[in-house]
Amino acid sequence: MEEKKFYLTKEGLAKIKKEHEDLKALKLAKTAGEIPKIWHSEDLNPEYLSFQEDLSFLEVRIAELENILRNAELIKPLPKNKQSIVSLGAKVLVQVDGQTDEFTIVGSLEANPSLGKISNESPVGKALLGHRVGEEVLVSSPIRTIYKIRKIKYQTS
Amino acid sequence: MKDLLDFFIEVGKLKRMPRRGWIINQIKNPESIAEHIFRSALMGWIIGEMKGNINVEKLIKIALIHDLCEVYAGDTTPYDSILPRNKKKLRELMKTWPRFSTSEKKKKISEKFRKEKKSLQKLISKLPPKPKKEIIKLWLDYEKGLTPEGRFFHQADRMENFLQAYEYWKKYENPPLGPWWLWAREFFDDPILLKFMKVLEKKFH
Repeated sequence: MEEKKFYLTKEGLAKIKKEHEDLKALKLAKTAGEIPKIWHSEDLNPEYLSFQEDLSFLEVRIAELENILRNAELIKPLPKNKQSIVSLGAKVLVQVDGQTDEFTIVGSLEANPSLGKISNESPVGKALLGHRVGEEVLVSSPIRTIYKIRKIKYQTS
Repeated sequence: MKDLLDFFIEVGKLKRMPRRGWIINQIKNPESIAEHIFRSALMGWIIGEMKGNINVEKLIKIALIHDLCEVYAGDTTPYDSILPRNKKKLRELMKTWPRFSTSEKKKKISEKFRKEKKSLQKLISKLPPKPKKEIIKLWLDYEKGLTPEGRFFHQADRMENFLQAYEYWKKYENPPLGPWWLWAREFFDDPILLKFMKVLEKKFH
């Protein structure tokens, strides 16, 4: 099991908590031999269909979620006067290589670069941290790339 | 047993299916999907073991099944929706890393997931219940990053791809490496794989 801290956005933490609650309810219902309500839920995730079948896998996932919740660190919203700086949880509009892209800087657990969620531990995520709108961030190894920060946005809590 | 035989025959198709990313990069004799699976499993196992706190057996199983869905779904690349027919334009496109809006990214990801899940379910439909359940769970783990093994292999898999890109580049001066680095520095965040990436950079530059 990983011992490190998991930095999570408010949305990410809520998702983990909900999955934990749902799976616990599923396990309880399953051990009692009932068909859980979640089975009929319209927003049933495909994963649940699989968990439903197998108690041991359900337990492994619950243990994993508990480990995450034990080591979770909520990314707190920055005070207004610091929201012009890229920090964890920031949505950053960048110009790179003649194109624009939007990244959300998240902790490793929530990272999903295909969806624009960049880890704060990735070379680009790390390089953007601490910079302001208008600044150019150079990532140079081995090919030089400049990320020009166009906009920084934080979700209002 | 006949169903098992049929399953292995279908899986064997991956030995002859070239990886699409190399085809659009016009690489001669590109590796097959099975060849990619072989080395990604080795890399996942050995680097994963060095990382520690990893269930290696599970990791190797994830590696072995992670691309089985491609038997029917085929291989996808980030360029698929914007591929020009003209070869010159295609070569130009391969020098850039494609960027999409957040809604386009979401759409692409969910379509890919749906297509691959359907394909995997078709492939394993006649397997006995135990391996059938296990394969779908391992694949979901890889796709959704449900456990440390799934999360780590998701990156180890792409590191194998990156290494292959370098090997072709060394041999054919193709594919262009610019887009690969743009992608890699946004994608990788595992400390041990970032170290590996540095070694890769030193060896080839």
